[in-house]
Order: sequence, then structure tokens, then C-alpha cells
Amino acid sequence: MSDEAPPSPLGQMTRRTALGALVAGGIGFAAFGPRGAKESADGRIVLDYWEKWTGHEARAMMKLVDAFNSSQKRIRVRYLTTAGIDQKALISIAAGDPPDLVGLWNYNVPQYAETGAILPLDELDTKGEVRAERFAQGFRPVLMHPDPHTKKERQWAVINTGGVLALYYNKQLFREAGLDPERPPRTIEELTAANTRLIKRSKPGSDAPLERAGFMQTEPGWWSWIWGYSFGGSLYDAGNDRCLAASPQNVAGFEWVQRTSEELGVEANKTFKAGFGNYDSPLNAFLTGKLAMVVQGPWLANVINAHGPKDASGRPSLDYGVVPMPVTADLYDANHPVGLIDCDIMVVPRGVKHPEACMEFIAFLQRQENVEAMALAHYKSSPLAVSSKAFLENHPNRGILTFDAIAKSDRTYRVPRTRAWPQIKDELDAGLQRMWSLERSAKDELAMIERRSQEYLDTVEAQRKQRGYGRA
Amino acid sequence: MVGRRRGGLARAFVYTTLVLIAFIYLMPLVWMIATSLKTQTEASRGTFALLPDDPSRIFQNARDNYTAVWNDPVVRFPVYLRNTLIIAGLSVVGMTLSSAIVAYGFARLEWRGKKALFALVLATMMIPFPVIMGPMFLLFSWIGWIGSLKPLWVPAFFAGAFNVFMLRQFFMGIPKDLDEAARIDGCSNWGIFWRIIVPLSKPALAVVALFHFVFVWNDFLAPLIFLRNQDQFTLALGLQLYQSKAGQTPWNYLMAASTLVIAPVLVLFIVAQGALVKSIATTGIKG
Amino acid sequence: MSSRTAQLKRDLTGWIWVSPWLFGFLVFLLGPMLVSLYYSFTDYPLLEPPIWTGLANYRRMLTDDTFRDVLWRTARFAILFIPLATALSLAIAGLLNERVKAGGFFQAAVFIPTLVPMAGSAMIWLWMLNGEYGLINQVIKAVLGWAGVTGPNWLADSRLAMASIVMISLWSIGQMVVVYLAALKEVPDEMLEAAALDGMGPIRRFISIVLPMISPVILFNVITLMIGALQIFAIPYIISAATPGGDPRSMYFYTMYMYDNGFRYGQMGYASAQAWVQLLITLGLTAVMFLASRKLVHYRS
Repeated sequence: MSDEAPPSPLGQMTRRTALGALVAGGIGFAAFGPRGAKESADGRIVLDYWEKWTGHEARAMMKLVDAFNSSQKRIRVRYLTTAGIDQKALISIAAGDPPDLVGLWNYNVPQYAETGAILPLDELDTKGEVRAERFAQGFRPVLMHPDPHTKKERQWAVINTGGVLALYYNKQLFREAGLDPERPPRTIEELTAANTRLIKRSKPGSDAPLERAGFMQTEPGWWSWIWGYSFGGSLYDAGNDRCLAASPQNVAGFEWVQRTSEELGVEANKTFKAGFGNYDSPLNAFLTGKLAMVVQGPWLANVINAHGPKDASGRPSLDYGVVPMPVTADLYDANHPVGLIDCDIMVVPRGVKHPEACMEFIAFLQRQENVEAMALAHYKSSPLAVSSKAFLENHPNRGILTFDAIAKSDRTYRVPRTRAWPQIKDELDAGLQRMWSLERSAKDELAMIERRSQEYLDTVEAQRKQRGYGRA
Repeated sequence: MVGRRRGGLARAFVYTTLVLIAFIYLMPLVWMIATSLKTQTEASRGTFALLPDDPSRIFQNARDNYTAVWNDPVVRFPVYLRNTLIIAGLSVVGMTLSSAIVAYGFARLEWRGKKALFALVLATMMIPFPVIMGPMFLLFSWIGWIGSLKPLWVPAFFAGAFNVFMLRQFFMGIPKDLDEAARIDGCSNWGIFWRIIVPLSKPALAVVALFHFVFVWNDFLAPLIFLRNQDQFTLALGLQLYQSKAGQTPWNYLMAASTLVIAPVLVLFIVAQGALVKSIATTGIKG
Repeated sequence: MSSRTAQLKRDLTGWIWVSPWLFGFLVFLLGPMLVSLYYSFTDYPLLEPPIWTGLANYRRMLTDDTFRDVLWRTARFAILFIPLATALSLAIAGLLNERVKAGGFFQAAVFIPTLVPMAGSAMIWLWMLNGEYGLINQVIKAVLGWAGVTGPNWLADSRLAMASIVMISLWSIGQMVVVYLAALKEVPDEMLEAAALDGMGPIRRFISIVLPMISPVILFNVITLMIGALQIFAIPYIISAATPGGDPRSMYFYTMYMYDNGFRYGQMGYASAQAWVQLLITLGLTAVMFLASRKLVHYRS
């Protein structure tokens, strides 16, 4: 390049030919290459369905979509995976060109419902096929939100797949630590005691390198904000639109988080955690036995079966159990477990051309056998009020009965129902890290989070008021 | 220059450092390609080995990995390749042509307001894209372009500040007597532009085209905002989609996908490297 | 034809020739800028029409901790990255300028990464820096494994996030190397030889002869780097989304917060105000650099 000789005519020729071939190939591919949008040639209504799933989760849904497409001749649904689905949906609705169906996160409902971005499903559901009452009671509130103008609760979504969080524990490690594998922790106190017994260090000393820990609230860190709920707390008072992050129960919950971090040793546990593998890999800390207990959804069983230890015949051999997340002693009640409901929902954006066709597809997906087929493929629990016997018996997740019991419990909790939640959650995600590393006391950190979150709530309320539909 | 007379030790130092730097800069790409030629277990085992355990399987692995990526039912790279080619092709033509026309106006014509306007051209180079991304999005949705590829190529037909600047510098280096002679022969401005300036500026125009091609190929934020659904995605967006957050994608596939996305610009570089590097050097200097 | 009409005709011709740019400027730049200026004084949730709120968005920035946080992190990135990138690319250019054999190869090796799309770059480095299988940690294990040292979880460790982003960005400095190399070639050999005869060491020669001569190029590059650094988006955006378990704020930069406000949180008005502050910061810093450079930069006539 720098001191190169002038190119020989031959070099020039081949270079030109190569460039010409590239350009011709590019134009050819652009002109005749595969097209994305295949318009239906047989006169069917085409519905675009955006979903967030890729991989085996997407394949499970695509199977149902294919089944729907071949079950009738009027409608064809196209499944499209979209990254950053809530942003993309927001953008396309704002642009007035929405997809026909969107698979969102459950926390998106308030924002979409209040701004009139989605259609109320109770209006579309003329045949009453997907009424909220079909779903387990813990799931129902996820679908509901007041209409901004009439203030009447309406149903805005259906649940595609649902899950609840529970505590996975490694029975083998319990035995090694002298704990009873058939008597897993029920209360926070027992969980803390089990953690103490399970901690293993390479040498004595409270900040010596860790080889094993019992429990860490930062693993996997996807639900940074839930710890106060095990102490009877809650983050949001929907009636008064107040953030409750700094309530005594939340402070107690996050002080417990900080005690755990302190007991493990702040530096020691940071180094320890840096060695954890990715969630979906054989080096997942729960699979390698670095961590004896973890709060996770039913989908973890999929990772255990795929990547966990195997016995001689190739069957998954990790000896684990699943129980509801422990709570403080005064809250414990075996018949009314506490747990977070986390689910994927489906909505119909405002402005779609064929809402009744969308409804037909939704009704198809919501048939019990289809809901359960999805749940089986995703290893999840069923969001429906009633689970079929076959579903519970054939489920690949050994903790399914626990998950099912939590899903049907009357003491579940959900993501706070406010459209400021994305911002509040981002605050809590960052706050958990700061509290975990003991940079600030839980009390101060939560007070700050509460102040900021209240600002977000107030901003959103001001937005509503300016548009004539404030809460008050 | 001065190093020429230095001892062997100094030269040894220069070469060792350069080899090390070249190694560091090329290693990620080599490693990417090497990973794309391994099996899934080999890729996620953590060894130095560049080749698969059984080197004779390299073609088999390549075929497995690349066809798996190419034929993925959810993330459809052939569609994204087509979209990217359409956007890149149209914008390159638009950008080169329009920038050349505007540069001619600044380099060859005398008119009031030229200096001020040229200063404005230079000033716009400093405006960050994020400043306008929101309103641009609303503008495009208002005229109904969201949902098509237009937002990504139509603006290219209205010249780019940097390219105008570069071509103006180049045009000013072409002797003026040539256009004077042509003007006496009755040539219009368009005739001068098309018959004299453009043929003499082929190398500079090629560089504008190449740069813009690379820019479009690599752009991430604009497609992220303007493209609505997966059918319109570009390769850069598709690659991010392929790497799903749950980490389902095996590394050998992901690296095969990255190689697919990167390969065209690398091939282009190999074909056109001399011109590309030279022009960066000159524009950088004059800037 | 009077000279007045001739002049008018000439003016008109000129404006017609530059009209494509002018049209693009008005429609795709000035227009959107003015609209974003207007939005910056409104509350605009994107799904509903904007409502005028005066200076509320700008006032909000003063008390918004997250805003201060991303501003500071972006500044820290710029402060780390610009000098490192400048020093490294000058050093590489200096080595290449030593009339090495196969200089074209070395130059190509450094230049090629600049052609890699950001998304590709992010993927490659996700892989290189992977805590379990990444090449970097394998090297660390091979070299220091005997001492029990293992590589960190680069991207998921909040303490290393900034270092990782800077490292990835330093991979794409090839264009600057090429520009610096060309600038160094313009420095006359005779001057350096004369200085060497006067007994000047290589470092003094570099500082008192080479540096002043290439200072305009350095200024140009530093400004370009600064504009780019203040807008950093794609690499941290892709990497932080692909790194579960890391502290999400350890890779949160100005443009990412702006994007979130505009397209995730439904706060397009606030995002527009941030965009304008970003523009003013960019212009302000550029002006400061130009003023400071009057003393430092040496322009040849």
C-alpha cells in the first residue's frame, strides 16, 4: 500500500473483474434474492405476529402458528422474531403502522393501555373465549388495567406463557453440608442458616476465597427488586400512586441481601461471581455446584436437562428440588405460598385492519391444549386456572407441582402496575449492585431509589393530567 | 527516515513490535473465522487450537455452521443481505452523484453566499445523529416511510457534508483551463461537470462510493430506529437479533454469522485497498 | 444583459448546483433539529401528542442523577479513550514510518478492523472476552494459570466494563494510523537529520520537530474522536444487552439514556432536550479545542 509498485495492467484487470463481479453479484442478489414479505397469493388475510423469542422457544410457537394456518383457509399468520420488541412495537404504533399481534412483556400493559396503543380484548372477545377468569388468579391482574378515561378495569391482553419464581436447591450439596435434603428452607431464617452451612472456602477466614456458596441474591440478578416481598413488603401502592421502595419491609429485605453479601465476604464473593458461567451453559453456577440454591423460574429445568451432569445412561442426574421462595417466619404458610408471577403476554395494537382475525388466532392459541403445549415446550407452568392431568404428569420439570401450586396461590405478586416501571426497574437493578457491594446502606439506597422512582411516577402522572386523564 | 541509520537492535525492536501489533489486531478476526470452523463442543471448550480436533473435518464443519446460519428459520440472513444490498446500492449511487454535483457548485462556480454556505456545510459535520433521530423518525412516519427501507437510502440523494468537502478539495485541484476551453466550445456547466470533471475524478468518486458503502453496511443506530420489523432488517441488526439474550446461540454459529456479515467489506477492502488507504491519508491531511 | 442580471444568473446557477445539499440540509437536518428543539420544550410520550412544558425538561436534567451519571461516564470514556487512541495510533504510525518491509501488510492489519461493523465488532469481543471460553482468558490461564490466576468475567464485572469498552474501541483506530502515517511522511527528513546532527535525541526530535509539524492533523483527529466518543452507542448497547448478570449501569452512556428516554420510557421531549445539550457540549468542546489550538497548532502556510 504505502510503497507499492504501480499495479500491473494484469493486476488492474483482475481487480476490475473482481470488483465488477462483486457489483454484479450484489445487484443480482438485491434484485432476485429472497424477499421477506411474502404476500399471501391465495387471498387470505395476512397477520404479522411479532414475538421476542428465538431458538427453541420460537420453534415451539412457530409450530402452533403452522397448525393454525393449516387449520383454516381464511387467515395466514406470519411469525416474525423482533429484537427489543417493546421498543419496536412502540415505534411502529407511533408511526401508525403496527403489526397485527405483538408478544410483549407483562409490564408493558399499563403504558400501552393508557396511551391507547392497544385494543381492549374484552371488546374483541365477543365469544368469551379468552376471559380473564380462565387464568389462574395470580395471573389475572397482569391482563387488567383501568381504561384511562372511564377508569373501568378492562382486559388488554392474554398470556402466552407464564412462570412463577421458586427456590431450586441442590440435594446432594445439602447432604454434604449435613442439611436434610428433604427439609429445604421455608423461612428466611432457615435460608440464611442453610447458606452459612453451605459456604465452603479454600482456607479459613471470613474473606477467604469461596469455593461454594449457599445463596446469592445477585444470581442470576434478573429480578433485582423482589427481596422485600419475602418480608411482606411491596414496591408500589397503586391506589395512591406511591413508590414504597423505602418501606420497612423493603429495607429489611435488602438489609438481608447485604448481610448475605457480608457473610460471603464482599471481595470474595465478587471474585467468586466473576467465575460464574453464563446462564445457559454447563458452567451455570447452580449446575456446577458453586451455588447450592437459586431463585429461578421453571425454565431453569431446561438448562439443567440440557447442560447439567448426566448419569451413565445419559439421563440428567443433578439431584435437586424446588420449593417456594422462603419468607419471614410470620408470613410462612404452606398452603399459601408467596411467589412472583412473570409472564409473556399478547396484545392487539390499535389500528390493525382485521381485529376479528387477530381474535380468531388468539382464541386458537388460548385453547387449553395449545397453552399447555407451549408451556411444555418452554418448560413453564401453565397460566390457566385449571391444569390438565396429562400436563402435570408429562411435564419435563420435576418441580412442576410446586410451580403449579404457587401459580394458583392467593399470595403471588407481580411487577408494579405503572408505566414508569421500566425506569424504576432500571434504578433497582443498579441499586441492587450498589447494595450488594455494600457501597451504601440499604436504607439510604432505597430512600434514594424511592425518591427517584417517585419522580418518575410524578412525571408520568403529570403527563396523564396534561392529557385530561390523571388518576385523581 | 532517521531510523534508517540505527543499529540492528532498533530495527529488531521495530519489527517485533509491529508483528505483535499486527498479531493483536488480526487475532480477533482470525479467531472469529477459526471458531466458525469448529464444532459446537470444540468451540465451547476453551483451547488455543485454531483448527478443529480433526482438521480434515474443517470443510464439513464450515458447511454445517454456515448453512445453519444461512438457513435459520427465524433470523433470515438471506433476506437481510438483500435489504442491506438494496440500501447500500441505492445510497452509494445517490451519495456519490449528489455529493459530486454539490461539490462542483462549491468548487467551480462563483456566486454570492458561497463562502457562508460552505462554512455551514462544514459545521453540519459536527451535528450528532442522535440530535435528529427522534424528529427524523416522526418525519418518516408522518410521510409513511416507516415500514419501508426508504428512510435509510433516500437521504443519501441529498449529499453528505464530508463527501462534499472531500470532492470539492479534489475538484479544485483540476486545472481550470480545461473548463475554460470547454466553455469556449459552448459547453454548459452540466457538460463540463459530466464530460470533464467526472471522468477526471474517478478515483475520488470511487473513494466516496467505497466509504459510503462501508458506512451503510456498518450502520446500526439508524436501522435500529427506522426499521420496523424483521423483514426489513439489515445484516448488522440481524446479527444482534441472532445473538439472543438468553445466550441460546452456540458460539460457532454466532461467529459464522459474524463472518458472513463482515466478509463482504473485507473482500471489498482487498480489491480496493490501495485507493482507500491513500485517500484517507490525503483527506486527513487536508482536513 | 446588464451585469446585474448576469450576476443574478450566476448566483442562481450556483444555488441550483448546491440545491441537493441545501434541500437535504433543510429537510433532513435543520427541520428535524428545529422540531427536536421544539420537542425539548414539551412533554411528548410518543404515543400521544406533545404538550408545551417550557423549560421543565432542562430543569429536570439538573436534578436527574442518572443524567449526571451517564454524562460523567461518557466524559470518562472520552478522557480515557482519546489520549490512548491518539498515543497508540501515533506510535503505530511512527513504527510504520521507519521504512519497514511489508509496511503495507502491517498497515492493512491495523486498518481492517475499522471496516468491521459495530455489531460484528461487539460479537467478536463478546467472544474474545467471554469469561469461560474467551481467548483472552485462555491466554491469561496459560501464562498465569500455574499461580492460580484466572481471567475475570470482563464484561459482567462492573469494575472492568469501562476498560473493556475502551479496549474494544482501540481496536478500530486504523483510519487514524493511516492519516498519521501520511502526516509523518510529510515531515522533511533533512530537518530531522539536521536536528540529529545538533545532538537532539529521538524524543526531543519528536517533541520539538515532528509534533508541531503534524499538530493540525492531530487536532483534526482529536476533534473527530471527541465527536464520536460523545455519541458512543452501538458497542455498549449490544454488549450490555448480551451480558446478563452484569451491572447494567456500568456500560450506560449518554446516547443510550437518550435512546431509552425517547424510545423506551416514552419521554421523547426529555430525550430531545438531552440531544440539544449533547449538541451544545459538542460545539462547545470543539470551539475550546480550536481556541486552545491557536497556541499549540502549527500551520504551515
